[in-house]
Amino acid sequence: MKDVRMDTESTPPSGISRRQFLKGSAITPLALMLAGSGVAAVYLRPAAAGGFTLRPPGAIAEKRFLAACVRCGKCAQACPYHSITMAGGEAGVGIGTPVIIPREMPCYLCSDLPCIKACPSGALDKKLEDIEKVRMGTAVIIDRESCLSIRGLRCEVCYRQCPLIDKAITIEPRHNTRTGEHTIMEPVVHKEKCVGCGICEKSCVLPKSVIVVQKSVEIQKDSYEF
Amino acid sequence: MNSKWWILRRTTQLTMLALIASPLLGMTFFRGNLAAADLFGLPLADPLAFLQALIGGKVLVLAYLGSALLVMAFYFILGGRSFCGWICPVGLMAELGDKLRRRLGSGETTLPLTTNRWSLGLVVLTVAATGIPLFEVLSPIGIISRAIAFLSFMPLLAVAAILLVEIAVSRRVWCRSLCPLGGFYSILARFSPVRVGFIESRCTHCNDCLRVCPVEEVLAPPLERGVRQVTAGDCSRCLACVDCCPANALNIDLFYKVKQN
Repeated sequence: MKDVRMDTESTPPSGISRRQFLKGSAITPLALMLAGSGVAAVYLRPAAAGGFTLRPPGAIAEKRFLAACVRCGKCAQACPYHSITMAGGEAGVGIGTPVIIPREMPCYLCSDLPCIKACPSGALDKKLEDIEKVRMGTAVIIDRESCLSIRGLRCEVCYRQCPLIDKAITIEPRHNTRTGEHTIMEPVVHKEKCVGCGICEKSCVLPKSVIVVQKSVEIQKDSYEF
Repeated sequence: MNSKWWILRRTTQLTMLALIASPLLGMTFFRGNLAAADLFGLPLADPLAFLQALIGGKVLVLAYLGSALLVMAFYFILGGRSFCGWICPVGLMAELGDKLRRRLGSGETTLPLTTNRWSLGLVVLTVAATGIPLFEVLSPIGIISRAIAFLSFMPLLAVAAILLVEIAVSRRVWCRSLCPLGGFYSILARFSPVRVGFIESRCTHCNDCLRVCPVEEVLAPPLERGVRQVTAGDCSRCLACVDCCPANALNIDLFYKVKQN
């Protein structure tokens, strides 16, 4: 039996030709670099370029969320309403992370928060148990001129649909100076109560929702922050 | 020549794909993908994904650490890159791509196996410096898993690019030399107890094993110097060599036997 040796110092001279050398040492790395930079150009665009991304309940601060989320999709699989979808390549660094697109399907605020329970890595903060403490974002009426209620009609659909009715959205009546004899029943979002579930955004009857969820005014504090 | 291990391995690979697809069909015993999963209630986690979440997200969940360690222990015993040979969907895809490449006779060049240690270093450095979990962003494993589980097909273009490079330019270059997770498991497997053993007296030096091995460098110490086992961590334990050896010179061996010698 020959002695057992781990080292490789006795490998014979390779004797490769110039052609093989060029192919191996120049063309291959070049091709790989090209392929790599192509992929990087698609993926490594700034994550914030797309603006605000609505994350599932309990998501920790966005920058840390992008690293803490391992993109396993268990939150999306746990969501009974299929509100959570997985971002594609358009999300840049956020590829494969969970997003909620309220106009398609908002978060219906399950009281047992199955998405948070499903998250293995702590990207969704397990210490968040009270559904009213969720701060995914804050609803904002972005187009007051189009809002039917503000224009003087009795729409109020966002108010009626709000799971925190009379807390997160209230109706504030005021005199309609345009007609001089009616009342404007204006929906007003209260940022300290709004959880950002997006049900109002989904429910808006206009073709383009005038009320949308934007970045939280009151940032959700996760338990990992000091 | 038999295909005992080949059948077992291919079955495992296809079972993994079926598991990832199973939630789509309304089944509930498996959730997640290869980054993190629940299998019959048992939480499993990719240790490299855990590391990136820990460094970049500054979050430590003990149960998650436990599931990552469990998976690490499992692959340590079987030989780290057994993940690559038996579980990883990219491995399966690259194997099929390699069949096509052989038929075309293209892309014979290779990169050294040790390059993946550098990719691993790059991933760890990037997440520490910028908070971007480079491997979770680029991972073709994640892309394929999400394409199966969530039908998001567009990112598969990146996987197609890898496949194209492998077929046209450089043989199995992603799995052999570039994958950071492969690098992680190579290092882990360096001292794994379950190995491919080599019985020199039976070897006829037909070199059939070299032709089937995806990382044929690991067979050099046994074949050239009679080392009793494949010791390199890069061996993916695909056992194609054990299957193909006409003289039964290769078998499954345990680490401690080397010391008895």
